[in-house]
Amino acid sequence: MSITDLTSMGEPQTELQREINERLCKLQDEISDYCYQCAKCTSGCEAHKLLELEPHKIVALLKRGLIDEMVNSDVIWTCMSCFKCRERCPQKVAPVEILFALKNLAVASGKQIPGNYTAMLQSVLSIGLLQDVKSVTTRDNKTKSRSDLGLPEISKPTDPAKFQTMLSKIAVEKV
Amino acid sequence: MKKYALYPGCVMPTEQYALEMSIREVLPLFDIELVDIKGFSCCGEPLKSVNQMLTLTLSARNLAIAEKEGLDVLTPCPICHLALSECKRILDTDPAMNERVNKFLQDEGLKYTGQANIVQTVDLLHNVIGIDKIKEKVKKPLKDLKVATHYGCHLFRPSEIGRPVDSENPQEMENILKAIGAKPIDYPEKIDCCGGLLTANLPESALTKTGQKLQKVQEKGFDVFIDVCPWCHRQYDAKQTKAGETVAAKLEVPVLYLSQLLGLSFGISKDKLGLDLNLSPVDKLNLGDK
Repeated sequence: MSITDLTSMGEPQTELQREINERLCKLQDEISDYCYQCAKCTSGCEAHKLLELEPHKIVALLKRGLIDEMVNSDVIWTCMSCFKCRERCPQKVAPVEILFALKNLAVASGKQIPGNYTAMLQSVLSIGLLQDVKSVTTRDNKTKSRSDLGLPEISKPTDPAKFQTMLSKIAVEKV
Repeated sequence: MKKYALYPGCVMPTEQYALEMSIREVLPLFDIELVDIKGFSCCGEPLKSVNQMLTLTLSARNLAIAEKEGLDVLTPCPICHLALSECKRILDTDPAMNERVNKFLQDEGLKYTGQANIVQTVDLLHNVIGIDKIKEKVKKPLKDLKVATHYGCHLFRPSEIGRPVDSENPQEMENILKAIGAKPIDYPEKIDCCGGLLTANLPESALTKTGQKLQKVQEKGFDVFIDVCPWCHRQYDAKQTKAGETVAAKLEVPVLYLSQLLGLSFGISKDKLGLDLNLSPVDKLNLGDK
């Protein structure tokens, strides 16, 4: 199994796209109507000052159905997932969840996945973890491994083949 | 004696060894047995941006593994704790999703049943073990040590899912630190984000977030910065110098895990707590002890 199965970088996965689109439509119908653009989300947003993310505008754009525009924009990838907007919204709208759905849709539509996400995904597929065990360096420059430090063997999927089969089904499942 | 399955996640067992070492030293003092189980994988939360179904299924898979042993789960990483808690909330309330996820798990002969409870270290120390028991263990009170705490966003938000500490004014770490004689002081940036999750695609911006917060902490004259999350700790400790460069500041803030500081006050040796693995200037602390 390759990474393209999960992320569909090669060709767009219509089933997955349809499902995420449905999720967004649901968010659009149920949630964005509650938003009255008070911008409390944006005032607390960790990514606002630094990266110009404006969660209240994301909600407004969703309300107007400008989904493709957002999926094609880099701004959806500036969210730090700190959940402040979801926590503080007086109307229980969760811009952070809209952003997750938009990013999922971008991936399912075959858009380029930014940065290290591809490597992280590949690692989870092959060993079950975001990264493999590393040797670390102490303050006085000695190299230590897990076993040097008396730590037991790391826990990871015992049958990688079965684990990978399971993960591949998540991507190709027909709803 | 209370037993927990130790769910290590990814970052702690692959590089943040000081967290794992100090937890394995400190918790047994309170009759907590940590059980190592084979087969765990990533919780999926860092990949939520890529595919949410993947996140949900990976979390359910890990819970199912712990359930098989009939154990509750201790997850030291707040990010994993949020992923597992959210997964439990969804699968326990949405039968259709439960069925769908369980279908995926069949391949590995696993089944999510919802029996396992999920705790995080701060939750365990504050609410299960309790402040009085912690006080009893103190051998070396950390007198008047001026401490800034950092909980990590995922430990207190979103409260809708049920988080172990308050979302706007968490005091659990403060209470624990007071019990060992330290002097935690609130500061305006206390619940701000470290930016760590941006490392995947915007590493420079992630470092800037880290630098901005740590600079404030340094300016306010704190002796030490205490965190619990392996992602946050990697930012504040290992990447401190680089983070300082992004805000044009020379940062020299000692950063320790809560479990390391507790261990020191309980008289556990620095070696056993992995203190030589902290890359921030922890020697500045001058805590005595060999």
